[in-house]
Amino acid sequence: MNELRPPAKPRVITLTVNGEYHEATVRPRHMLVEVLREMIGLTGTKDGCASGTCGSCTVLLDDRPVLACLTLALECDGRNVRTVEGLADGENLNTLQEAFLDQGGTQCGFCTPGVLMSATALLEANAKPSPAEIKKALEGNLCRCTGYNGIVDAVLQASGQSPGQVE
Amino acid sequence: MNELNYVGKSARRKDGPDKVTGRAVFTQDVKLPGTLHGRVLRSPHPHAKIRAIDTSKAAALDGVKAVITVADTKGIKHGFVDTPRYPADQEVLARDRVVHVGEEVAAVAAVDALTAQRAMDLIEVDYEPLPAVFDPFKAMKPGAPEVQVSHPKITAHEDLANIGGKTATGWGDVEEGFAESDYVREDRYESHLRTHGYLEPQATLAHWESDKLNVWTSSMGAFVKRAKLAAVLDLPYSSVRIHKTYTGGTFGGKIDLFSHEYCAARLSMLTGRPVRMVASREEIFSAFRHGQPLVVEVKTGVKKDGTIVAQRLRVINNSGAHRGSGVVVIFLGWGFTMVPYRIPNLQYEAYSVYTNHTVRAPQRGHGCPQIRFAIESQLDDIAEAIGVDPITIRLRNARDSWEELPNKDNTHQAGLKECITVAAEKSDLLAHYGNDRRSPPEGRIRRGVGIGVSSYMGGTLIYPNGSGVIVKMNDDGSAIVLTGALDVGQGAETVISQIVAEELSIDMDDIKIIAADTDVTPQDIGSWISGLTYVTGNAARQAAGNAREKLLAVAAERMNTAVDDLRLKNKEVISVANPDNRLSYAKVIETSIATRRGDTIIGEGFWRTMRDEPNHPSLATTKGRWTENYAFSAQVAKVEVDIETGEARLVKALTVHDCGFPINPGLVKGQVDGQISMALGHAFMEEVITKDGYTLNPNWLDYRMPTIHNIALSEEAHVITEEYKVGEPYRTKEVGEGLVSGILAAIANAIYDATGVRLHTTPFSPDRILQGIKDLERLEAKGAAE
Repeated sequence: MNELRPPAKPRVITLTVNGEYHEATVRPRHMLVEVLREMIGLTGTKDGCASGTCGSCTVLLDDRPVLACLTLALECDGRNVRTVEGLADGENLNTLQEAFLDQGGTQCGFCTPGVLMSATALLEANAKPSPAEIKKALEGNLCRCTGYNGIVDAVLQASGQSPGQVE
Repeated sequence: MNELNYVGKSARRKDGPDKVTGRAVFTQDVKLPGTLHGRVLRSPHPHAKIRAIDTSKAAALDGVKAVITVADTKGIKHGFVDTPRYPADQEVLARDRVVHVGEEVAAVAAVDALTAQRAMDLIEVDYEPLPAVFDPFKAMKPGAPEVQVSHPKITAHEDLANIGGKTATGWGDVEEGFAESDYVREDRYESHLRTHGYLEPQATLAHWESDKLNVWTSSMGAFVKRAKLAAVLDLPYSSVRIHKTYTGGTFGGKIDLFSHEYCAARLSMLTGRPVRMVASREEIFSAFRHGQPLVVEVKTGVKKDGTIVAQRLRVINNSGAHRGSGVVVIFLGWGFTMVPYRIPNLQYEAYSVYTNHTVRAPQRGHGCPQIRFAIESQLDDIAEAIGVDPITIRLRNARDSWEELPNKDNTHQAGLKECITVAAEKSDLLAHYGNDRRSPPEGRIRRGVGIGVSSYMGGTLIYPNGSGVIVKMNDDGSAIVLTGALDVGQGAETVISQIVAEELSIDMDDIKIIAADTDVTPQDIGSWISGLTYVTGNAARQAAGNAREKLLAVAAERMNTAVDDLRLKNKEVISVANPDNRLSYAKVIETSIATRRGDTIIGEGFWRTMRDEPNHPSLATTKGRWTENYAFSAQVAKVEVDIETGEARLVKALTVHDCGFPINPGLVKGQVDGQISMALGHAFMEEVITKDGYTLNPNWLDYRMPTIHNIALSEEAHVITEEYKVGEPYRTKEVGEGLVSGILAAIANAIYDATGVRLHTTPFSPDRILQGIKDLERLEAKGAAE
């Protein structure tokens, strides 16, 4: 029953993920999140809604945060992807990760990879973001556990500012 | 109590490094070779007869490995409740009839997602739509469409349709109480349908291998899942292994057995291959279980000074198409009514009513927010009517420590009065209360402050009723802790590590936790019923204590001294009398193995609430004890209301609570902040909107959950913690779900304080607030005209 075969031919894309070279055979319908999680095996990036509403799948594509569940795999050909797995240097957590542990920025941990990547993009563009800038950068990331207080505090700590409650 | 080194400190999360590096394994992350893609076919009708199901075309499709319907099941029913009065009532796949949109009808396993989707389209179900009912008051009327047969114990006395269950209880004589009262009022409050909003979708991976069913599933407790899954599959527990995966948020929504878990298991048994099921977000919104909207009618009588004389509650639960936890929430409603205040005459009756909505689940607070919203709102109205302030009326009625409740529970150490007093002081509530109503400021913003009080039980009896913990000493002095506890984000692994570290005087890094695996770890009550830190925490304390006793006994013998002379520090046993006389744990264990027939030192601990109470209380009559562990809180909300748009905002929340001894204050704060955020969503933003049983907003764009822009300042204070340092070491209570309640009521009371608008219905939407303001203006104009 050949009617089962999807009509479009697969294509091989190449991409760099956390500094490592990868190839993936993808069809037009494949999203970046599937390439990362199912083909390359980097399951740190989470898929919470498959529709771009929760932000759990946020990764950096050429240093800009994107929703991997809405990014076509074909668009990523020849590009550079960074995921949560690329943040730590071996066993050494980076300052943002450390700050999330200090400030209670993670509870169940499902939204955390996406939140960390959004925050990473922010801090790379803006070393000392104001609370308003932090909120703007993380507005696409839902978190149901923390109430966001610990997340804002963690980004403040990571950027060398004193954590404290912000309205 | 001795000086504490680990317990009482805000230690970092034990699972933290895994969660910030992407290493933490959730169910979707478990990969097995040859895994099939599972899908569930769901009912498109709220109520319909199934005339026939034809799966032959789907089964014949290339790449489809198995298709199941109810004919492939053993017909064993399951339910959140399974008692003689309320036996399990739900088939794993619909038989002959569907009773809600999204009910599971069939399931397929195929080689990939596309094939599974095509197979779904090829399953032919011949439905005959039947009349449906969605409003509980209509559903109760004789002659209403029959969702389920009304409970026979109810129909024997009352001619009501679709009654899943009833709770009726009370004490004293309410009629006499109302007659004795100086002021009596009656109000009706309605709550709306909300969902849990866990970020991780419901997911299950099942693999039947060598006569063993291996399951990874998004849950709140491995042992409950095992029991229910084994039952519907008719397998011994020993043939079902639930493996640990982290769970990405639950809030009550992942407790019970779900059909997709059965389907994944059955399909794997039929195909011999792993089968994965992942629910789409739309499926979760439109077919899975949400919370429970209650209608609460309250009549309360008080003396002139505000002393409550009598209270009567009638609660109606729109409980969906199967029993679910509908009959539990109406039982709990009584508990959330009777605890905080002394009510000498109480009458409580509540009905759980079947409607053609999706099945209901517990949701953080399990009825408490709805009940406290009603009682605390009315209490403020009463206070105003009799000229008493909101603090005085609460202090006048608040229960004391060591009070025996009418069901024979005891409040033990209870900091409720301290909570109310400290909350009033810290917020300076009375100085602000009524200001904007007395002299409205210029502009469109009104500010208000309000208080709400609540009490929540911990660790009451429900399967599996108790937790065990095993502490295995390694011969280098480090320890492996086996616990059935599942970390769903609350920090179970962290607090258990802190407790073991404290009891054994070893560093938290020397402890490795093996958790939530039904084959490997002892049984555990699970991360629900708000009892993990209390029940499993005490089991961990016992287990570590048991290992410590063994260490000390061996050390005393080897060191030629008495156990009383020994203390533990940094993996060494040290003589108090002669500190030079010391022995490393490694040496102690070596000695134990040499002299005690190889004993490597393993500590065991067990805990159960109410060890003298054989059973949980009756859901129908409330007879029996409920818990030995009540947490108390008073919460204050400061709100701003824009009187032109009707938009209200929680500016600041203050939570003052008696949660017992906080094992990890940082994690406690995390629970408080999360609950404030959830209550804020409840109050202002979230609503599952349905029409004829269909969810109209099945996604996060249309179901608005708080984002980082909706953050509220959250301040927290603990009371009477010093009392827990005396005698029994670190007695813990509850902190995971009781604090969504008082703050919801406080928000309602603060909106009233800002605007004079009393809201009887959640959510507190702009249109409701504007309508209230208009009604007030009309009343005022009428008053001026007269």
